[in-house]
Amino acid sequence: MTDAIVVKELVKRYGSLSAVDHISFDVASGECFGSLGPNGAGKTTLIRVLTGLIRKTEGEAFVSGYDVTKQADHVRRAIGVVSQAMTTDLDLSGWENLDIYARYYEVPLKARKARIALLLDLIGLASRAGDLVATYSGGMRRRLEIARGLIHRPKILFLDEPTIGLDPQSRRVVWELLQQFRREEQLTIFLTTHYMDEADLLCDRIAIIDNGKIIALDTPENHKKEIPGSDIVDVTLERDDTNEGIETIIAEMETLPFVHQVIRHSGGQESGPDVLNIYSDNGAQAIPVLMERLQARGMKILAMGLKQQTLEDVFIHYTGRSIRSEGGKKVSYLIGAGLPRRWGN
Amino acid sequence: MMRVWAFVERDLRKFIRNPLAMLSTILLPIVYLLIIGNAFQGTLKHLPLAVVDQDHGPYAKRMSDRLRSIEAGPNTIRVIFEHDPAFAEAEVRSGKLKGALMIPPHFSRDILRGTGPQLGLLLDNTDAVAASALNQAVSGALAFLEVDSVPIRADLKAPRVLPLELYRRIDYDASIVPGAVIMSIFMGAMITGAFNLVMDRYLGVHESYLSTPLTRRDIVLGIMISGVLVTTLVGLFVLGAGIWLTGLPVAGGATSFLAVLLVIVLTALGLLGMMCIFLARVDHPRIVGLFGGFLNIILFFPSGAVYPIESFPPWLRSFTRYNPETYAVHALKSILFKGAQWDAIQGDLIFLGSFTLIMFLLSTGMYRRTL
Repeated sequence: MTDAIVVKELVKRYGSLSAVDHISFDVASGECFGSLGPNGAGKTTLIRVLTGLIRKTEGEAFVSGYDVTKQADHVRRAIGVVSQAMTTDLDLSGWENLDIYARYYEVPLKARKARIALLLDLIGLASRAGDLVATYSGGMRRRLEIARGLIHRPKILFLDEPTIGLDPQSRRVVWELLQQFRREEQLTIFLTTHYMDEADLLCDRIAIIDNGKIIALDTPENHKKEIPGSDIVDVTLERDDTNEGIETIIAEMETLPFVHQVIRHSGGQESGPDVLNIYSDNGAQAIPVLMERLQARGMKILAMGLKQQTLEDVFIHYTGRSIRSEGGKKVSYLIGAGLPRRWGN
Repeated sequence: MMRVWAFVERDLRKFIRNPLAMLSTILLPIVYLLIIGNAFQGTLKHLPLAVVDQDHGPYAKRMSDRLRSIEAGPNTIRVIFEHDPAFAEAEVRSGKLKGALMIPPHFSRDILRGTGPQLGLLLDNTDAVAASALNQAVSGALAFLEVDSVPIRADLKAPRVLPLELYRRIDYDASIVPGAVIMSIFMGAMITGAFNLVMDRYLGVHESYLSTPLTRRDIVLGIMISGVLVTTLVGLFVLGAGIWLTGLPVAGGATSFLAVLLVIVLTALGLLGMMCIFLARVDHPRIVGLFGGFLNIILFFPSGAVYPIESFPPWLRSFTRYNPETYAVHALKSILFKGAQWDAIQGDLIFLGSFTLIMFLLSTGMYRRTL
């Protein structure tokens, strides 16, 4: 297999902020590669550099064998892009959106018509092709955008948070569609997401990104193996501002034979309750013992649950915080809520 | 060119599906034409003037008659007779009257004796234009007060001015039709062309087409072609409406129409290119609104569309030399009012053509192909 994407020591800086900080990886042809991280981690900046939408500061990046800076036009012809924001034209019909984009790629008339008909059929929008996109639901619009990204038969498809804002049913439809296209069109897929289940289901390999750096890169299975214990007991405790009691109980728990590791975080809220993720081989057996120890220490338990480990836990394992923590949104003070997209996340 | 035409089609389809935008582009210049054209009409009319006759002599009566004939003829003034000078003065001060003419006692006697007869004219000089017009009207009435009758035959020995009008008479409302057309082109250039790019940036739509093989030249050329098609149609429609509403007698035939079309197309392209430069990096429609209002004032009013350029102060006259709308208005006035041929508008066309070319090259250079 040849490499569809090669990235070496890639850096993108905005002033003193490094949105992408010396990232290196490669993606094989036909692979589905995921970039997983919270908002603000640098995923969108990375995808924008690779698709030629913003210029890199340092390092090298090759897509389909072409340098993303020096051979941007070749890169654009080889790739399809589905942006995070919905970017189909609302005042055009589904057919018109696809037709106009096919002409941007100079797809000849006959091939264009056949391709549009096929794609509309595959995404289940053939009967709504003549309707204005303004009348489509979010899920329909997202399917149309995926079709638009594939209109010129690209070798590589970039998707930036493809299911963000969609309801669970629409998300599942998009996942099935991506799997189908990958199979039928021998596509290489590069996607960013902050949904663990999405990355787990679709990706062959996942790069976990935080603060512009790749902190782990492996298959979903191998990522999960990194975490000791197959079960996780989540305990939510009333916040301990003194810090002493909670640190003592964590140290005590880690001495228990069935507990591998205890991670404390605030569940994605800055001043939220203390959440303990207790990694264990047998969660069901551990729960009564853990409750007894916590109550003996006078800790107030707000909630307790048992679950199988997921990529969310992998992320917490590596970063010590939840992936749901929101990044800040930049706003122009001059004209109100404008100019945020340039910065990406 | 497939890419450029695809971009053109996208913009045109979007524009056609927003009829409100097209309607406002057409309506504003027409409303402007109707309001400004009818409000100003070139000369002032119906200025209320009180006449307080304290003399009641023959020359006071003659003065009143002269003023009445001005009221009946050119309509510059509306005469109101008052008895109380204090009341008349109060009415002027309150703004109900623009002026009050005081004919003092013994006015007729002083004329007959030749002992320096005087009239008092109280003027609301906060309205300088109206005050000047009233002063002129009263001075005109006073000029031949001592002449008992106006001879039917002119005195052949006296020197005279014979005004020869070179062209057909154009009323003021008709005279601002070229200005209304240029305004419609400006409005069209504001809401098409670069505005679509601003909206694309605002909605994030540009992110998708910037990742396609579209080049900077494709994008700028595409928006300029779609913009010029819409703007030319709007300009022609406003011209037709202006001719119909004002009864403007249009000089020339098919050649004039082609010349008008050329001026409209070149003006539209130049303004679209200029908008592309100014809005090349704007990503909020609010800025376009603020910027458009400002630009309309600094380009339109010094263009000669509503007031002769020659009467501007020197600094403003200098600016008009670089204002594309000056050349567009001049060319349209020459063609429509004078039936001018190519050589008369050659300079205007050369300026507009050069301006368009420079704007296109600069806007292509300034457009950023990245986010």
